[in-house]
Amino acid sequence: MPIPSPAHADRLVIAMPKGSLYPDAAERLRKAGIDVPEDTGRKLTVVTPDGKAELLFLRPTDVPAYVEFGAADCGIVGKDVLWESDRHVSELADLGFGYCRLVVAARRIDRYHEGAPFPTFLRVATKFTRSAETYFSERDLPVQLIPLHGSVELSPLVGLADAIVDLVATGTTLREHDMVVVDEIAESTARFVVNPVRFRAKYDALMSLLERLEGRPITV
Amino acid sequence: MRLPAGVRDWLPHELVRKREIEQTMRALFGRWAYSEVATPSFERFDVLEIGLGRELTKESFRFADRRATALALRPEMTTPIARLVSTRMREDPLPLRLSYVATAYRYYEQPQEGKMREFTQAGVELIGPGGLDADAEALFMAIEAMDEVGLRDAHFDINDAAIVDGILDGLELDPEAMRAAKGFMADRNIVALRAFERPELVSFAMSRGGRDVTARARTICRTSASLAALDRIDTLFERAAKLGHGSRVSIDLALLRDLEYYTGFLFEGYVPEVGFSLCGGGRYDSLLPRFGYDAAAVGWTAEIERLLIALERRGKHVDRKRPRVDVLVMGSDVIAARERAAGNVVRFAGATLTDEELLADARAHGIPRVVVATNGTLRELHVELHPSERLPRPVVSRKGEGS
Repeated sequence: MPIPSPAHADRLVIAMPKGSLYPDAAERLRKAGIDVPEDTGRKLTVVTPDGKAELLFLRPTDVPAYVEFGAADCGIVGKDVLWESDRHVSELADLGFGYCRLVVAARRIDRYHEGAPFPTFLRVATKFTRSAETYFSERDLPVQLIPLHGSVELSPLVGLADAIVDLVATGTTLREHDMVVVDEIAESTARFVVNPVRFRAKYDALMSLLERLEGRPITV
Repeated sequence: MRLPAGVRDWLPHELVRKREIEQTMRALFGRWAYSEVATPSFERFDVLEIGLGRELTKESFRFADRRATALALRPEMTTPIARLVSTRMREDPLPLRLSYVATAYRYYEQPQEGKMREFTQAGVELIGPGGLDADAEALFMAIEAMDEVGLRDAHFDINDAAIVDGILDGLELDPEAMRAAKGFMADRNIVALRAFERPELVSFAMSRGGRDVTARARTICRTSASLAALDRIDTLFERAAKLGHGSRVSIDLALLRDLEYYTGFLFEGYVPEVGFSLCGGGRYDSLLPRFGYDAAAVGWTAEIERLLIALERRGKHVDRKRPRVDVLVMGSDVIAARERAAGNVVRFAGATLTDEELLADARAHGIPRVVVATNGTLRELHVELHPSERLPRPVVSRKGEGS
């Protein structure tokens, strides 16, 4: 396997999120002139045929770390992942796709969405512990956070939690489980991020990629 | 038997490398006529707090003594030196050129490479002069320092904090929005800056290059302070070019480092391999006045561990060099003392070894000579070292460059 070489002067190393963001991310990069494969297969990394870019295929939550440490020069990642990661990267563009909302949701019958008071000992299940913690502490709401890794919407139905903090794209999953949005915390879309030092070291290449991604000049 | 997060031990072969770099820096500081000072590792928190910005205050290791006096480990050296200068060195004629090589401590929630809770800073403070010559001295010294440690292609970005203030002043934002915008600028968070719907903010934050950058900035800067800052940056850029550093210096208008610290010129040095800066500094004319001493100051600091990381990434790996021993001595304190006085590195052998055992020891450790003193007789054994085992005597370099 070729070793990624971020120091390679003309080659950009791009951290790509596998999963739901991948098709849109790949399409945007292709429009920007980077030859991204349709299907990553089982590959971890690929150098584009023209040799101008090297793509790393990563779990979305790993993208910020690769960029912060400079193992990748830049990357594409959902804002929701940035909220949770606390990694020092520069957000250069909102790519617009991958829209979803981070919300507090609960069972319809609990009527929290209609203003019914939360229980005194509120339990909230979530994959987004940092965001949830910030949201509840800003409101001075004492809360027991229950960190989960999947099927978060199940937890109120079986009595594990009173509410959840989770991402909602279309709302179908919530409706299917007879749950409703109680409050919206934030909106998320895919972002183009760069390593702050690498941005300087590869300024011309990264600015050129950014302008092609945005489809407009950056500096006026 | 575990260490707490964010600190580390240094084994002999690792420490050799670290000390080499520290010595290189010390020698450089000396050549620029700086004198080294030391301050305590911990101080009263209320005193440190005067100088530290919000971020560094948050990152300070704080504790109390038994009388409940709030104390803190120094998170950097500039504030302790400002305190020292404004108290015990107050009567000293300016300018003062002070240097340090010292450990500093920061409480990082997630310690990681380049962000350890205990780390070593080597830096200088030039106190008194407020002009461009002092700014240039700081920058050129830092460039020379990177050259000396072996990072001859380190790149430097320069800026002046007054420029961004000039841009923001012209936008007529409320103070809170202005502060937020400055923070987004420092993080280069373009997505957040776009929300202000002022295209010039984005344009400004993304500008980086040579004189073309300042030329463009002149068209949006309105205040005389920011225009003067642009002139200063241009002059500095020219001076760097005359020294032959033209290709190694760029103007980056979004370079702000610690927001509350810098009042004018500032810079950062880095190499492409590592994702964080290696050295940096600038002008902080408001610091000493906060300690009741009206003097301007400019300074910079390098993080020794980050330099080591950069060198190691370059393949300049730490050699597992054995410590040099010149003579293995058995049986006589007097002979050992004489050998040491002659400048040799002497190791004692146990008193009961046979010649074969002594020779085996010498060969195993690459020691060229064995002197045996028994029953009043002095013998020197012939050690046959394999050529690869013969350690070259290190050339002691006056400039502190590695052997």
